[in-house]
Amino acid sequence: MTEEPATAGVLDDDPPPPGRSGRHSAPRSSGGVLRTVIRGIGQTLITLGVVVLLFVVYEVYVTDLFGERKQAAATSALDAQWSEHAAPATGGTAVTTVVETAQATAVVDAEQQAVDPRTRKKNYDTTLGDGFAKIYVPAFGADFVFTIIEGTNPDDLYVGPGHYPDTQYPGQPGNFSVAGHRVSKGSPFNDLGLLASCDALVIETQDDWFVYRVLPMADEAAGWSSTQHDHCAGVEPQSGQYAQVTGRTIVDPSDYAVVLPVPGVNSTEVPPGAERLITLTTCHPQFSDAERMIIHGVLVKSYAKAPGFLPPELKETS
Amino acid sequence: MYTWIWRHLPGPTGVRLLQVLVLFLAVVALLFFVVFPWLEPYLPFDRVSVSQ
Repeated sequence: MTEEPATAGVLDDDPPPPGRSGRHSAPRSSGGVLRTVIRGIGQTLITLGVVVLLFVVYEVYVTDLFGERKQAAATSALDAQWSEHAAPATGGTAVTTVVETAQATAVVDAEQQAVDPRTRKKNYDTTLGDGFAKIYVPAFGADFVFTIIEGTNPDDLYVGPGHYPDTQYPGQPGNFSVAGHRVSKGSPFNDLGLLASCDALVIETQDDWFVYRVLPMADEAAGWSSTQHDHCAGVEPQSGQYAQVTGRTIVDPSDYAVVLPVPGVNSTEVPPGAERLITLTTCHPQFSDAERMIIHGVLVKSYAKAPGFLPPELKETS
Repeated sequence: MYTWIWRHLPGPTGVRLLQVLVLFLAVVALLFFVVFPWLEPYLPFDRVSVSQ
């Protein structure tokens, strides 16, 4: 009890209660009111500053933690779905043996697993908010994999990269378009600005692997030679109605045409003989969403999935 | 405001510091789990998709 007034006095510049020194009480209390008001404003500003800093921490770190947990849940749900599909309950031991034999050979020979994407059917259904495919970007490291969610509303994108539901699916003619956060919520597409032409964007679906490669950048198209780099086979500057499609562009947020079957052409129709493209969208510049960064890639290779088989492109880590 | 809170916390200085810490963490949790998630959609740096 004896300590309390002293402690309060140290931290508290309030004037002493009136009456303690009667002669000065009137001027002191008016100065005290002014001081209290100024101190109140100061404290409010400092508090707001701390709240803004906390928001930065939340946005850059805390949402990453939340996003990673949601992503992990979506991934294990998809893995369970796929393993259920791969091993129906009726599978006997004989089947298992065959699969294991196939596995041993498949690991050796990737060409054996290569398939024509025209022969592949989409044998899975998608549900808004649930994962249906995985994206690997070996250039970002061997461990870069995200489960792609159907849908691009904020809740979907919190879980992982989201597929624009009106666009095509992996391997199909047209444009498989995916949006992802650049900063916060797991930041799947943080490094899209670092992608170079011919970098592999590998999509895993229930039955297939689809290997897309980033198209030549606008400044590389002239003088392009697909033999200049080991990984550029099948990657050419675009022509005809695709002439405007390059590896990376920065567009306005309202430019929905970039995710349409022929990027930049305002039609949802997939034209006959359409290319099989992938489009990734994220916000630009970093920490802003004034614009969008768009990455376009083209399908160069498809593999049928087999137990133990991984596409050799996954090893293209740089 | 902060002096008012400090004055109204019971106990000696150490106990008060502990209470201040708990109060601060409670406010941070409120911000992180309620206020910021609500606020976020209205702010201009989190939209990544294109739309018409």
